[in-house]
Amino acid sequence: MPTYNLYMGCSVPANYPNYEAAMTRVANAFGIQLDYLEGVACCGSPNLRAIDHFGWLVVNARTLAIADKTGNDTITPCNGCFGSLKDVYHILVHDADSREAVNKELKKEGLEFKGLSKPRHFVEVLYTDVGMEEIKKKITTPLDGVGISIHYGCHILRPADVTEFKPEILDELLRVTGATVVEYPLWKQCCGATVLPVNEALGIRLARDKLKSMKEAGAEFATVVCPACANQLDLQQLDLKKSYGEDYNLPILFLPQILGLAMGLSEEEVGLSMNRVPAGPILSHLRG
Amino acid sequence: MAETEDKAEPPAILIDPIDMSKLDSEFRHEISSMPNGEELSACFACSTCTAACPIANVWKYKPHQLIRMILLGMREEVLSSEEIWLCLTCFQCQERCPQKVRVTDILFDCKNLAAEEDKIPPNVAALGKQLVETGQLYTVTADWEREDMDLEPEVPGLDVEPIKKILKGTRTGRISSGGSE
Repeated sequence: MPTYNLYMGCSVPANYPNYEAAMTRVANAFGIQLDYLEGVACCGSPNLRAIDHFGWLVVNARTLAIADKTGNDTITPCNGCFGSLKDVYHILVHDADSREAVNKELKKEGLEFKGLSKPRHFVEVLYTDVGMEEIKKKITTPLDGVGISIHYGCHILRPADVTEFKPEILDELLRVTGATVVEYPLWKQCCGATVLPVNEALGIRLARDKLKSMKEAGAEFATVVCPACANQLDLQQLDLKKSYGEDYNLPILFLPQILGLAMGLSEEEVGLSMNRVPAGPILSHLRG
Repeated sequence: MAETEDKAEPPAILIDPIDMSKLDSEFRHEISSMPNGEELSACFACSTCTAACPIANVWKYKPHQLIRMILLGMREEVLSSEEIWLCLTCFQCQERCPQKVRVTDILFDCKNLAAEEDKIPPNVAALGKQLVETGQLYTVTADWEREDMDLEPEVPGLDVEPIKKILKGTRTGRISSGGSE
């Protein structure tokens, strides 16, 4: 049973226990052991990187240094954490001066960044380490014919030389469930989450444009792999009725929820009732 | 004839010339020496970054203009601009730059310089303060939701103290202690 460190960050455990549970259950089904990383907290997000580059380096290098001691790779379900960890890992591996400065700080805690534990997104581990053949074997209740759009999220895709993530990973993980991937014009566009503290109306507009683009392309669902994107596309959707007078009624599911349902997990097991836009009607129609 | 006497307004396309005496010729070197700033001078102002930016149409200074302003030495205008903080950090500009200028990373560098001068939007400064005080941006409040999902009510492995301590000693701590008490 391959073992990985699990780095949750702050948003998923606080806001999306349904994502955390669905991920854990899907991992269990494939014999993946996830050990919560001990003694860690928030990655700081792009906001910390913006105001305090060095503090952001140290905080994330510390997480990676703790992970180094385990000898296992580190999985996160959050694009924000993934972006921070991957970026810091990339900087520290390529820049000896930064690594030295950061390790000087970490030494106070008896830690050292060595770069042994690679930060990875949960969906990439499913795709690469479990593999599509094994995943396919576990699909017992296929979502045949359901049209699903993918919102990848910026920090899993870009900068590509740092994230090393290919969009096909999510495409294939959806197709294996029997669902149809619905392509849409704004697939690369940001959900708007990062700009909310500075200009909320602009952030909401970006979320609305994404939803509109997906809906018009014929999506019945959309999938996300990031809690900040979920805030924008799921939670924010309810407010769009007020701010734009528009009702998209587009259920937003985390990829492990969709995969879990196709693997025979119940709606309760993947925490579907916690998703703000109800997905039940579409699923019961599919299964009825 | 009377109409030839009328002085026409200057065409609206003309802009005020840049005051050369206010330019900071060191600014480009300052940015070039910061993380991922090396490629700055490779910019040939094709404005592909601006074409890639989903919100450039609401920016007074477009991404390619900000890069040009850095090269010219318009330090004050860049570091005081709202645009550097509006950046979505979506990396679309950087990804498409044919000259491999790391535009988004350079805007992060600008924000760090602005932060060093305490030019930070209040809501972003508040997030920094929150990180110093709580060690995280979100804290579990609805632990019954976690229990409903058969998860531990408290996040396993979570320890916020070391993060608070680290950030107290870096710029975040300095920003957060100034003028907020």
